[in-house]
Amino acid sequence: MFVTITLNPAYDHLLYLHDVEIGQMNRTHSTIQMPGGKGVNVASTLAILGEEVVATGFLGGQGSRMFEEALRNIGVTTNFIYINREIRTDFYIIEEAQNRQTLFVEEGAPIERRFLNSFKDNFDRLLTSAELIEIGGSLPNGVSPAFVKELIQTANRKKVKVVLNVQEHIIKDCLCDGVRVFILNPDMRGCEDLCGKNVCEIELRPPVARDLFIAKGADMVILNSHSFEYTVVTKDEAWHGEIEPGKSANKLGVRDSLLGGFIHNYLKTNNTGEALKYGLGAVLSTARHKEHRNHPNSKAEVEELRLMAKVRKVS
Amino acid sequence: MKKVKDIMSRDLTSVTEDTPLKDVAEVLSLRGINGIPVVNNKNEVSGWISERDLITNIFPEKVKIENPDVIGLGNLSQVVKKLTQVGSAKVKDYMSKTFFPVKEDTSAADVAELMLHKDLKRVPVVRDKRLIGVVDRVSLAHILLEEGSLD
Repeated sequence: MFVTITLNPAYDHLLYLHDVEIGQMNRTHSTIQMPGGKGVNVASTLAILGEEVVATGFLGGQGSRMFEEALRNIGVTTNFIYINREIRTDFYIIEEAQNRQTLFVEEGAPIERRFLNSFKDNFDRLLTSAELIEIGGSLPNGVSPAFVKELIQTANRKKVKVVLNVQEHIIKDCLCDGVRVFILNPDMRGCEDLCGKNVCEIELRPPVARDLFIAKGADMVILNSHSFEYTVVTKDEAWHGEIEPGKSANKLGVRDSLLGGFIHNYLKTNNTGEALKYGLGAVLSTARHKEHRNHPNSKAEVEELRLMAKVRKVS
Repeated sequence: MKKVKDIMSRDLTSVTEDTPLKDVAEVLSLRGINGIPVVNNKNEVSGWISERDLITNIFPEKVKIENPDVIGLGNLSQVVKKLTQVGSAKVKDYMSKTFFPVKEDTSAADVAELMLHKDLKRVPVVRDKRLIGVVDRVSLAHILLEEGSLD
């Protein structure tokens, strides 16, 4: 069983309109509401691929029941701690005339100490049957990177694999003191570099990943500069893969689909190149999702689309 | 015929035997549910606690809610004292150790019969004693009404 942790989930609202006129009233012609947050997106992808997965973290407020119901409908088991506040809402403005997507991200509600304690107790119980945990996304008020590090250390003690899918500042505070991470997927949205190093050029990625992260306790690192190209670096090898998204591709959740697809395949094949190809299949299936969801359409489609991925060994 | 796995809610919300009752009341209130599984440190179900367990233990037996005239000052002080005690008490002192778990491959018809016969609103779904979800009467009724039969 896999466990995904989303400490700061969001109720995503996708607002579709022809184009936006700044400073004017704009009417949407359709809207979609769905569960969001990096851990939740990975859970959704894993469930679509047939894995048994539990999504945990913090929820609260009126939208939370619909949030959980939507996850359960695609096969995710939910085990969130409810807080006495509304969770955040993120808005994706999709301008069809411009083929442009703009994201507004709210800050999360503060989490009281008693809810953090309930979460930790619950997390300990989930670890007794977990094969792998994935920690994804930003942190709400009241939750520090030290809390994330504590979760990783608890999982390390119980020999449960850890996937860390978070921003650079959280990685810096967590990847030290002997902490082990199975897969590190830095959230590079809006970043030109990583820890001051340029990772736009593919050739630069393996030495940077090994120097910054593998030497400090990560087994594998996934780097990217946009949603449709990724490099996976291990101690001994590095693979790069790309996939052509086509026009009007949905970018929502595609990085998390890559991660979900990669985890699903790698744990079965132990083959980095094959797993990257599979992950790219999940990326394209998500990008092409008919209803603009943040997870792939179906397992069958992922397996078909992975054949379109161009993957090569780069070191 | 539909099985439990087709109709259950994949939700692991639960409390442990050491959870304070005031926390249970908060979980039930925030989630809008009336009962919750009690689990051990391996997520194995060991009991069930419901809003009825809380209410019946807060009010002294002789106080009848339907007859507020009997709540005199003497009884009111008993209620307040009991509230203080119950709030800090643990789940293990008030939970029902008799509970009715079902398995994923149990038929929907059997669950419906169980819930009606025992007057249960929610039942835990277990695999090797581990909690994997719950079936609630409202969802079951919804499915029965939607499909017209259990097949």
